[in-house]
Amino acid sequence: MTIPFEFKQYTSILKSTGKRAKSLRELREGIAVVSKEAIFHHTYQYFLKAHILEYTNDFAQWAGESIEERALSERLSNIDPYAFKDIDDLRKVLLNVIDDYLKNFLEPRDAVSGNEFYFNEAVTFIFPAGIRVKNLAEFLMAIKYIDASSIYYHFYESRRRLGGIDDFSKWFENELGKKELSEKIRLIDPFMHSIEKIREHISELLESEVKNDMEAIK
Amino acid sequence: MIERYSGISPKGDLLLIMRLCEALKNRSFLHVNSTRAGGGVAEILQRMIPILKEVGINARWEVIEGDKRFFDITKKIHNALHGRTEEITKDMWDYHFEINKKNAERINLNADAVLIHDPQPVPLIEFRKAARWMWRCHIDVSNPQKDVFGYLRRYCERYEAAIFSVSKFTKAMPVSEFIIPPSIDPISEKNMELSNDEIKGTMDKFQIPADRPIILQVSRFDRFKDPIGVIKAYKNVRKYNDCILILAGSPATDDPEGEIILKEVKEYASDDPDIYILLLPPFSDRDINALQRGAAIVLQKSLKEGFGLTVSEAMWKGKPVIGGAVGGIPLQIIHGVTGFLVHSVEGAAFRIRQILNNPEMAKRMGERGREYVRNNFLITRQVRDYLSVWYSLENKGKSILEL
Repeated sequence: MTIPFEFKQYTSILKSTGKRAKSLRELREGIAVVSKEAIFHHTYQYFLKAHILEYTNDFAQWAGESIEERALSERLSNIDPYAFKDIDDLRKVLLNVIDDYLKNFLEPRDAVSGNEFYFNEAVTFIFPAGIRVKNLAEFLMAIKYIDASSIYYHFYESRRRLGGIDDFSKWFENELGKKELSEKIRLIDPFMHSIEKIREHISELLESEVKNDMEAIK
Repeated sequence: MIERYSGISPKGDLLLIMRLCEALKNRSFLHVNSTRAGGGVAEILQRMIPILKEVGINARWEVIEGDKRFFDITKKIHNALHGRTEEITKDMWDYHFEINKKNAERINLNADAVLIHDPQPVPLIEFRKAARWMWRCHIDVSNPQKDVFGYLRRYCERYEAAIFSVSKFTKAMPVSEFIIPPSIDPISEKNMELSNDEIKGTMDKFQIPADRPIILQVSRFDRFKDPIGVIKAYKNVRKYNDCILILAGSPATDDPEGEIILKEVKEYASDDPDIYILLLPPFSDRDINALQRGAAIVLQKSLKEGFGLTVSEAMWKGKPVIGGAVGGIPLQIIHGVTGFLVHSVEGAAFRIRQILNNPEMAKRMGERGREYVRNNFLITRQVRDYLSVWYSLENKGKSILEL
């Protein structure tokens, strides 16, 4: 029997760590000492916020927008947080990239007053969205209208829980036997789209799958 | 009541409120501030307390009482926290404490959670009974006069948590510091839908002609809101664009400076019959709503700002907004998307001209602004956040909470 897919929602409230940085060196010092929760917030949770698609985490965005160190921001944006099992490993890579950059560019400019980097962390609430689906057609309707934070939880946050894959493709494969569809979903680059675009991509893939299922002669 | 927000507020906010209320049901939540009317804090509390009650929280709102001397002192403290130079003597601090002590004797401070709003009642922490005490700072304290915040800090650090509107206002104190932007109520008289007849009725009441686009700023008459700067920008725009300027504000009982500023503004505008200065009585929400809906562009050209809720109010009504790039305004205005951020009188004038000459862009900005407010700045999100802070204090040390 198919286990229904239960959509969950994800909401955070921000908490200040009390640390801020006005220069790249201060950013480096901050990354070295802030809590794992703060690193998590500024990297993994970046996709939950309205953001510029040029960057993939808050550190890269700040380096690009506030101190205008574009080469550094490109390198920071290329780090895939889901490649790390432990947040401290991700922290090490962030520090290595900044240290390497500082070797070649000794005096990056400071951020103007008011544009400092503020290290925050989040307290996260996870709760049922009240939507449960049993088949692909129901799933298609749900994904079109479900809150964006649900897509974040099942498409991004799941990668940490499941070791690099999303909840949707897992359910399609395990519960509906849709291996090919799962593979297509797993090919969507999570860093190159906003949540709304992810919604559109998944909806398109499902639409075509539902259509094929309906046309198939069984 | 919560059902009334269904279809307006994001569903996730309503679901989480209901979950949190199951966990906190029938517990008491006391809010204390310093004025019953005037200003954003009183406005939010007027709306939030009934919502909290209806979702099963035993919510109560108390207002501290003080004389003119007390409010003169707290206004100076307010100004100093915004960065202006003020001298607060030891005598004044003692009086600030004494008035709070008297209020502590008068007000029942027993509650499961207590939220103290702004610096006026901050010394009430000295009279704390066992409960969760949180201090909510609504003002821009990013660059305060150091000795003044230093004095207040001794009170703030005794709270269990502090709540600021924006990251850059936080203070690295040894207490949990949360970041929660304020909000507007979409079904209040101030923000509800109005008919065209009603909008016209308000314009007629104030004898404002309907033949030209209206530029509007709604705010207290306060130097930090830069009403003179708004008039200068308007005079610059008038060279090529015929329009009307309205400056509308309500007096607040805790702001003794308002009258002086109002007089200055009236004198400065006296040579132009197309500038309307409206001193509205408290609870003029419907008129303010109509003025905002009747405007072509809404300004909030603040020089210092806690958050500037009038920005979200106007965005909710689908208006393009031009705001000073200070305090919480950049959190609401995405530059070039939901409005424009400006840094000078000239910048404000340029953006007014740009919007007046691009009605399509104005419409697009207005639509995006409304959606942005829906997702981020409605009162249900703030109720959700206050309950979330309270619940997280009950579950200290956990960064992920499943409900």
